[in-house]
Amino acid sequence: MTKIVTAAILAALFALPFFGPHPFILHMLSLVAISATVALGLQLLLGFSGQLSIGQAAFYGIGAYASGLLSTRLGLPFPAAFAAAGLAAALASLLMVPITRLSGAYLAVATLGFSILVFLLLKNEEWLTGGSFGLMGIPRASLFGHVITQPGHAYLLCVSVAALVYFSLLRLERSRFGRAINAIRQNEDAARACGVQVTLLKSQCFVIAAFVAGLAGSLYAHQVRYLAPTDFTFWKSVEILIMVVIGGMGSLFGAVLGAAVVVLLPEVLREVGDYRMLVFGAILMAVMLFGESGIAGFLGQCLKPFSKR
Amino acid sequence: MYLADLFAAGLAIGCVYSLVALGFAMIIRATGIIHFAQGELLMLGSMSALSTLWLMPRLPAVLLLACGMIASGALAVAMEFLVYRPLRLRRVPLMNVITATVGMSILCINAARILWGSEPLRYPELFSSSAYGIFGVRVSPQLVWIMLFGVVLMGLLQLFLKRTRTGLVMQAVAQDAEVAQLMGANLTRMMAYTFAIAGMMAGAAGVMFGSLFFSFFEMGFVLGIKGFVAATLGGLGSLAGAMLGGIVFGLIETFSAVYVSSAYKDAIGMVLLIAILLFLPSGLVGLWKRRS
Amino acid sequence: MPEALLEAVALSRRFGGLVAVDAVDFSVRAGAIHGLIGPNGAGKTTLLNLIAAALPASGGTLRFHGEDITRWGPARRARAGIRRTFQNLKLFSEMTALQNASLGLHAGTRAGIFAALVGTPSQRREEREIADGARRALEFVGLAAQADVVAAKLPYGHRRLLEIARAIAAQPALLLLDEPAAGLNATEAANLAGLIRRIQAQGTTVVLVEHHMDVVMTVCDTITVLDYGRKLAQGAPLEIQRSPEVIEAYLGGGDEPPAAHAVA
Repeated sequence: MTKIVTAAILAALFALPFFGPHPFILHMLSLVAISATVALGLQLLLGFSGQLSIGQAAFYGIGAYASGLLSTRLGLPFPAAFAAAGLAAALASLLMVPITRLSGAYLAVATLGFSILVFLLLKNEEWLTGGSFGLMGIPRASLFGHVITQPGHAYLLCVSVAALVYFSLLRLERSRFGRAINAIRQNEDAARACGVQVTLLKSQCFVIAAFVAGLAGSLYAHQVRYLAPTDFTFWKSVEILIMVVIGGMGSLFGAVLGAAVVVLLPEVLREVGDYRMLVFGAILMAVMLFGESGIAGFLGQCLKPFSKR
Repeated sequence: MYLADLFAAGLAIGCVYSLVALGFAMIIRATGIIHFAQGELLMLGSMSALSTLWLMPRLPAVLLLACGMIASGALAVAMEFLVYRPLRLRRVPLMNVITATVGMSILCINAARILWGSEPLRYPELFSSSAYGIFGVRVSPQLVWIMLFGVVLMGLLQLFLKRTRTGLVMQAVAQDAEVAQLMGANLTRMMAYTFAIAGMMAGAAGVMFGSLFFSFFEMGFVLGIKGFVAATLGGLGSLAGAMLGGIVFGLIETFSAVYVSSAYKDAIGMVLLIAILLFLPSGLVGLWKRRS
Repeated sequence: MPEALLEAVALSRRFGGLVAVDAVDFSVRAGAIHGLIGPNGAGKTTLLNLIAAALPASGGTLRFHGEDITRWGPARRARAGIRRTFQNLKLFSEMTALQNASLGLHAGTRAGIFAALVGTPSQRREEREIADGARRALEFVGLAAQADVVAAKLPYGHRRLLEIARAIAAQPALLLLDEPAAGLNATEAANLAGLIRRIQAQGTTVVLVEHHMDVVMTVCDTITVLDYGRKLAQGAPLEIQRSPEVIEAYLGGGDEPPAAHAVA
């Protein structure tokens, strides 16, 4: 049953550009796909392995700037810049590996500190990043020498990456690795008693989440073609956290839904725009108070009568 | 005498950090959570006091401080009763409570931005502009008063905790809530007092910082983290550690900003934070305990 | 002389000024069911935690299969074949019974991130083996029917059994049971005793910390008695029951001395 639904959704997503929607809609949906990619990484980190990171924007930014700089300064073709972005973010996350043995809130604060450091670097090292003036003139994405000029094609690129990340993480979730990291979240002592190498697996989650965020950053850079350090502050990290929380902790599909809500809602409700973060802060607290299964959980409840069991 | 200026500045900002750190320490001891909205209590106290000053321009500094403290204290208690206590009663996992404090922080920052705008707000001159001469050294009166206020507040807090009945009960609750309850402590009230005091300390720090520099809606974010760095440096969970950590961190930051780049001033705190969490988690107090 | 599977020499654990385990010499014969009893506060659970590396030792050495494992952490000991259950159950409450048992097989298997992503034949085979092994473990303890029930929804007795299933799924060389009979009624305790003997029959050596004397006396081959962190006596159940020092230790502390009523 779920396979049919998934296939249908995928087909609809990929068929969308052929119905000729407005370029702005395609642009917004591309941003949703990009945000969903980062959120999926955080879902692995937070929803599966239980590590609260409020610094994912740092890896998103590292990926974005790496891709932007490599393509503008060195003329690297997009696929190479894209891969390099992921690698750069993953390498940066190795610096964080010692932090993974910290627990809960201390880990969160450490990720916060790290993301502030990255932000300061992006802002101050003008010779490299352009500092507060930003990085301009980032070329569009290109595949096999063919530049992607049509919004529909850019959209398909973003959705493809998001889908690839989604299904990869889905496979991981259902594997021995996925069981182990869920076990770490639910009871770390018991996981150790089963022989799970807790610190190693936690670190692996960090690196994967960073890699994925880096890839998303690259897509972002070539989508909006202009980067500023202020795109990658704590607030961006918070946005990503909200996506995961609203969508439902532990649900990959929820991360995607959450990304859609966070990116699209301010557009749909223009008046909300200014009050956006205020509302999100309130939602964060509300979800913590009233149950963390988020939208995905709510949908799951609605669909229960229709499921096989 | 440039060194003396730096020293005074370091001590003054150190007092601000100490007050914030004390709030963190008290809340961690009582509830085990890192209160991410602590910095926002500082900010809201600072902004509220400033608004009061706009309404009553001739308010003396002490009353201004009191205004800030009352505002923050009240807000802290509100946070506790509206959000944190319900979460505790539902026995949600610790991570969820911490996430909720992140949400509270976001709410406060954006509420402040809507209420007071995004521009930094100046505090009018609170003290005379001529420098004082202390031990033959000329020091800015702002710094002197801040240090004075800071020390007095911290001293009062110590007296309260160690000499009054309520203070002792609060300490008992922080050590072992269950046993304290069995001994008749009213947990709800003690938690409220803990948050009230943590809020008041933050509010005072906010007024002090505002008078030294300026107030703006995001000030709590950075100052909150730095207060946390101070608390961690001193030794998380220790009140003496919070006070010590604040002063030490204030001095480290002020001197480093001069001798290292000032653009990376905030970075000093972040690097120190990560270093302490990784290598010296029990802080300076822990180091001292190990020696003795 | 049968070889000792586990050997502790002068094993100690201090908490500040308090000595919880005081230079205990303790050796477990391979294939035996070894009970660990003592009045409250005697240090039994602490000693078990030392063997499981839930706590680091303050002094002494621990050898397993002759190898010095004193510095090894809990995960490494688990991978070496030392598994345990916990006094206050530590199940993965959001997972089903089958998934809980599957984690018992985590250590012996190898498929990592890459294998999971690509879906290599060996990874798929391993998943089947894990599923089979987990089912067998559940059947062994009698929970086969509850395989798909979420752990949090299981009744207390079944949760205790599930912890044991998880611990024995990989057929460990040494199983440490921390008060497995706590909170069980007489029937459940009898079933537990039978289960422990069946585990022994599979070739697993068992160390059992327990207050429930009926279970201890009927199931154990050897019993070590601790008091105030020191080894007081060691021997067969009947000797222990009759030992004046043991009776004194229990009576002196106000606890009931270990008498046995046949359980199974």
